[in-house]
Amino acid sequence: MASLTEQTEQADRDRAAAASRRFAALSLRRRKQTMELGAAAMRALSGRRGLHFRGTVLYHEEKPVVMPAPHLHPPTCDSAPASFRGAADGMALRLKKSDATLHKRLCPDTATRVLVFEMLEQFRAESLVDPAMPGVRANLNDRFQQWSREFEASPLIDTALGIILFTVAQVCRARITAEPMPPDFEDRIESTRMDLAPYIGIHLAALRRERFSQTGFAPHALAIAETVGAISEHLESREAKPARPKSRVPQFQLLFDQDGDDDHVPTAGYGQSDALQDGQGLYRQYTTSYDRQFQASDLIRAELLRGYRQQLDDDIARKGINVPRLGRALSEILAEDSQDGWDGDALEGRLDGSRLARLVTSSGDRRVFRTERIERRTEAKVTFLVDCSGSMKEYSAAVAALVDVYARALELAGARCEVLGFTTAAWNGGRAGKDWIRAGRPAYPGRLNEVRHLVFKDGDTPWRRARSGIAGLMKKDLFREGVDGEAVDWACARLAECGTGNDDSGRRILLVISDGSPMDGATGLANDSHYLEQHLKDVVTAHEVSGSAEIFGLGVGLDLSPYYRRNLALDLSQGTTPAVVNQVLGLLLRSR
Amino acid sequence: MPDHMVSVREVFNLDSDLMVAAFREADDHVPEADAAYRFNHDVTLAILAAFTRNRRMLLQGLHGTGKSTHIEQVAARLNWPCVRVNLDGHISRLDLVGRDTVVLKDGKQITEFQEGIVPWAIQRPVALILDEYDAGRPDVMFVIQRLLERDGKLTLLDQNRVLDVHPGFRLFATANTVGLGNLNGMYHGVQRLNHAQIDRWNIVAALNHPPAEDEIEIVLARVPEMDHPAGRDLVASMVAVAKLTRDGFKVGDLSTLMSPRTVITWAENIGIFGDPGKAFQLSFVNKCDQAEHGIIAEYFQRCFDRELEGPSSPGHVPDNAFAAAG
Repeated sequence: MASLTEQTEQADRDRAAAASRRFAALSLRRRKQTMELGAAAMRALSGRRGLHFRGTVLYHEEKPVVMPAPHLHPPTCDSAPASFRGAADGMALRLKKSDATLHKRLCPDTATRVLVFEMLEQFRAESLVDPAMPGVRANLNDRFQQWSREFEASPLIDTALGIILFTVAQVCRARITAEPMPPDFEDRIESTRMDLAPYIGIHLAALRRERFSQTGFAPHALAIAETVGAISEHLESREAKPARPKSRVPQFQLLFDQDGDDDHVPTAGYGQSDALQDGQGLYRQYTTSYDRQFQASDLIRAELLRGYRQQLDDDIARKGINVPRLGRALSEILAEDSQDGWDGDALEGRLDGSRLARLVTSSGDRRVFRTERIERRTEAKVTFLVDCSGSMKEYSAAVAALVDVYARALELAGARCEVLGFTTAAWNGGRAGKDWIRAGRPAYPGRLNEVRHLVFKDGDTPWRRARSGIAGLMKKDLFREGVDGEAVDWACARLAECGTGNDDSGRRILLVISDGSPMDGATGLANDSHYLEQHLKDVVTAHEVSGSAEIFGLGVGLDLSPYYRRNLALDLSQGTTPAVVNQVLGLLLRSR
Repeated sequence: MPDHMVSVREVFNLDSDLMVAAFREADDHVPEADAAYRFNHDVTLAILAAFTRNRRMLLQGLHGTGKSTHIEQVAARLNWPCVRVNLDGHISRLDLVGRDTVVLKDGKQITEFQEGIVPWAIQRPVALILDEYDAGRPDVMFVIQRLLERDGKLTLLDQNRVLDVHPGFRLFATANTVGLGNLNGMYHGVQRLNHAQIDRWNIVAALNHPPAEDEIEIVLARVPEMDHPAGRDLVASMVAVAKLTRDGFKVGDLSTLMSPRTVITWAENIGIFGDPGKAFQLSFVNKCDQAEHGIIAEYFQRCFDRELEGPSSPGHVPDNAFAAAG
């Protein structure tokens, strides 16, 4: 009886976990959609091609664009898409209406002054919104109001400097944009405002008048920044606590990225790696002598593979995925026109010498021309690179089904398809790690582990013969840790190699399926935690810039945008459904 | 021939002291003048130069910017007869030059040469406008090549005739591209033009989308019932949406853009459906790729401060599109 209850409880727990995963994936998708639309609006408003988001950081082509004004960083865009729109519009106006080089030259040097000056310049840009676009104005206003509410709710507002910054922000924005301030704010800041009036009043009046000229506006903005800066220094000296001045700066950081409660779907971690910087940006492997590459089918007993294959076939049949139709859609996306011979006997086109005699023999017949025959043909090469790290075990069946369906459909479409995977041979560094310890743990050794690269299906093997190899993806004890950057390099190198009969034309596409940041415990400990992350990002950027391959990141329950410019969040909690297949197709469609 | 001079300042309301030749009498081929038409300053001066100084002029611009209309309206105010020919891919050399046809004369079948539009036009004081010039077939272009020379005579080979060009004949062409072919995928069927062709045009002008203020006036002139303060704001927002679609096209997010003509249609449809959002959906959104509806809805929100309703989803194909049938 007791075991029955336990079983039901366990089933309930599983259901709840599955539901929460589903919800997380759904909100991740919605969030990414909001961000993509925001970026599209931003590109049109600012007229700059190449703007996009990675995580929440704005990029222009491959360079991050700094947007230091604090209210442009909404903590999350799930709860209030309008607020995110406001931030995106604000960034677009800033890019369009403000000269970044001039701004940089004028910028003061201490943290408080920079903060105030940045804010004022942002308000100036926002005040220049086209009157024919009331929506932009409303979005900007929404965003600023929400930021103000968050500021008001934070402990920062109770500090002397906090209330001054809040007051300056409110008063200046109301002045510059001529948008009214909410009455409850008026009450809150009244006394501070009175205290400040003698110092900044005269400049306040000038701000709105000069808002059309960045150079005319700057002296007044700088004067206000100077006032606030001086007050802040005065406050600090009065508090006279030796440790205090240092801790000021992190408090301002709070303003930039107000980390709210962490209820949104995680974004892949990303940071600068000091270890990589110290080594002149050169990524190192401590030793490559233990790295191996295997055909997956050689590692698994044939008997076992047959079982996996049976399971996989049943699963795909149950999900009811229409592979031929997917194949047609893929060939629509991937095929390109190419010239293939000639069609003769045409009424117009190029003269066909061999038909000229016809003019003499039958004078009414003018079919002496030929035209070029254009055919659509798929020259694309597509590689799936599967992250076989421990956390992916849970999704191994779903990933196998997705990859199998696509491998079959790509073959129907005439594209060359490879299925690759990457993992490590051991945990915690393996033999490479032991060698490093034996050598006395030299600093910054680079990657420490035995990398395993697995080939589940290579490009020359047809799907029919590679079926059991693909099923090898379901063997969970292959899954250990992952070194993503090297794997991406390896997969791109395989893409660049010509297969049999294929010339160099056509698209080269790499789809990386992963549920997390690169993870290798020993390497992380011996270098620093961002070492592999930054290498992955560098590798992806290098391949994109050189144009050697189009790289897509398919994140399983994780936003991979920090690494992959083209990315998608997949919901595999229900396995591979027609909807999932369709999302991947949509990603390829959009990138055409 | 033109018989008197008129002042550009008076007739076209442009800031210029130029005097141009015009006809006193209008004949059947003179287009009707549109009092609400707004002239683009530079392009008008270029067209007037082409009329007065007998220059061959090619006017280039995106679709819907009113290239042919612009030339027609100038001709209308000069009382200059004007004929338009659309050079699509099916017009042949013989259509333009003329051909032998079988006719009945005194009860007998005889063949007779019938002049095409080109010999007809060049013997009269007529402005010939070749629309969609870049869609014309290469063999057709070489008929026109000779005419592009100012004193070029037209030779009818089958007739053994040489036609003199009337001093009042003028030649214009309009095109979506400057002979570079279908670079952005928007104009299928256009040809890359022979450079010798392009070289023979004396004036090449570009007519782009008008500045926002002008476009607002153009729309209001067409749809006068919107000419009140609230209507003006509405039109300003519509023009702003159109501008965003053009910028979106430029940065590669959209594959369709709104021409001023579409803005006018939209304004007219507001009169029918009563709601700007609904009319927008029917006049423009439904012409676009489903995948782009989400972005267009964002543009609409920016300019109207409300969401675009309707069956638009940012997804591409329904989620169950790849479920097995049955």
